[in-house]
Amino acid sequence: MIEVRNLSKHFSHEGRSIAALDDVSLQVAAGEIYGIIGRSGAGKSTLIRCLNLLERPDSGTVTLGEQELTALPEAELQLRRQRIGMVFQHFNLLRSRTVAGNVRFPLELAATLSPAQMDARVDELLQLVGLADHKDKRPSQLSGGQKQRVGIARALANHPDLLLCDEATSALDPETTDSILALLADINRQLNLTIVLITHDMRVIRQLCDHVSVMDHGKVVEKGSVLDVFLQPQHAVTRSLLAETGFGQGERVDAWRARIGVPLLKLTFVGEPTLSPVLDKVGRETGLRVNLLSGTLSEIRDTPCGQLLVGVVASDVELPALPEIFAREGVRCEVLA
Amino acid sequence: MSGFDPSLLLTVDWPEIGTATLDTLTMLGVSLLFTIVFGLPLGVLLYISAPGQLRARPRLYAVMSFLVNVLRSLPFVILLIVLIPLTLLLVGTSIGVAGAIVPLVVGAIPFFGRLVENVLREVDRGVIEASQSMGAKLPQIVFKVLLPEAMPGLIGAATVTAVALVGYTAMSGVIGGGGLGDLAIRYGYQRFQTEVMIVTVALLLVLVQALQTAGDALVRRCRFG
Repeated sequence: MIEVRNLSKHFSHEGRSIAALDDVSLQVAAGEIYGIIGRSGAGKSTLIRCLNLLERPDSGTVTLGEQELTALPEAELQLRRQRIGMVFQHFNLLRSRTVAGNVRFPLELAATLSPAQMDARVDELLQLVGLADHKDKRPSQLSGGQKQRVGIARALANHPDLLLCDEATSALDPETTDSILALLADINRQLNLTIVLITHDMRVIRQLCDHVSVMDHGKVVEKGSVLDVFLQPQHAVTRSLLAETGFGQGERVDAWRARIGVPLLKLTFVGEPTLSPVLDKVGRETGLRVNLLSGTLSEIRDTPCGQLLVGVVASDVELPALPEIFAREGVRCEVLA
Repeated sequence: MSGFDPSLLLTVDWPEIGTATLDTLTMLGVSLLFTIVFGLPLGVLLYISAPGQLRARPRLYAVMSFLVNVLRSLPFVILLIVLIPLTLLLVGTSIGVAGAIVPLVVGAIPFFGRLVENVLREVDRGVIEASQSMGAKLPQIVFKVLLPEAMPGLIGAATVTAVALVGYTAMSGVIGGGGLGDLAIRYGYQRFQTEVMIVTVALLLVLVQALQTAGDALVRRCRFG
């Protein structure tokens, strides 16, 4: 669906050149939700703005379907953009228009529908985002979450095949964030719409995304399925971003080991085993007694999963035999002796 | 100067005051109209061509900006005289109400244009970017985003310009432009007819107040929510 190849972009700041994007490549499959995460200044914002060429990269290509956007002349690019929706952190609604007027705006730009058809489409979209009752209000009369719903309805107006979300929930409180994420997940399912989002919040990735790229200093430092990245983070930046979610506590292992002085096990649960008494079962079979040190049980998108760090207090079997025993129960076990 | 005797007001030539009021209103109305017709596009052009803006043309912008500054730095009285040939060419006369309108418009266009440019700069960048992300072409951005979003500010700018034009009309007496300001200078100042001065100044005050009140009311009406 989207193929980003060797994208680079430099900004000059006070005479120095700063690489906002440094040879970034990634692929997004049709119909998936793809997350790009990084701390502020990592270049994720520049990257998403390069996807619809609001920002022109210095080098590299962006291909959408069969079309290389970076090679399109301005007029064709404008036409193509009508079918790439974008949702913004600060909503960017027209203050001079009502809710309905804002949703109608992209339809007016495209000018392919009759006025009556536009009105019908606006009603349909407001229904979809649950704002049918607020049609005639001004943006200033809406809450943050409602504004973002207008933003989403507007982005969907011209039946886009790609939706870009630029920190769409970063200005919202946690509850509102959840409702907007649920709406995005809904839209992704209902319309089979590809979504690319950037965020600095791992919760957004965990709840919504199929694949994720982690960015740092203009580079993609890690990418993969969200499950893999959460459960087996490879890069220090990923681990630090994961710290607040309870996943990927890799760097804490050494501290625990030193303090407790027993071998540690890292147990990773994905899917069904997460909900089964695996630890208890293995304990009965092998005499394994553990000291629970830290961990989290959660859901990544709709998959239950979890990760536990335990200290081995006693065991009737040799430690190296444990991974296989756990594997039989569908649990990945790493011995951190 | 002795105290003012209110009975002198009875001696004021009211029909002449009436004509002068009408002249002022005509000059104001017509010149404001032309100022907006030419100044608004100038302001838009200044805005979009400025460095870093939608259609950045730094050299064109520098030239336009310089010309605007030149016209704005000329005292209006000088402009009145310098423009006599142009006025003759455009309206066939360089005196009277018709003769005053050309210099009024020429003087007010750069003033209003600069105000428009500043008002447009206040429009949220994010909104413009959002419309670009939806594939808006430049004219669509100007007419559907910039101008509607800036409307309260634009009305405010027009109000300020109208009030400034009232001041300019007073000076048009120099070329026989007529109007209240002219009357105040000729009778009130040059002939020491304080009563004429007071009446004309009062009328000008009422006019400026009315313009400002009307402008403010319009701004309030179209302020968003």
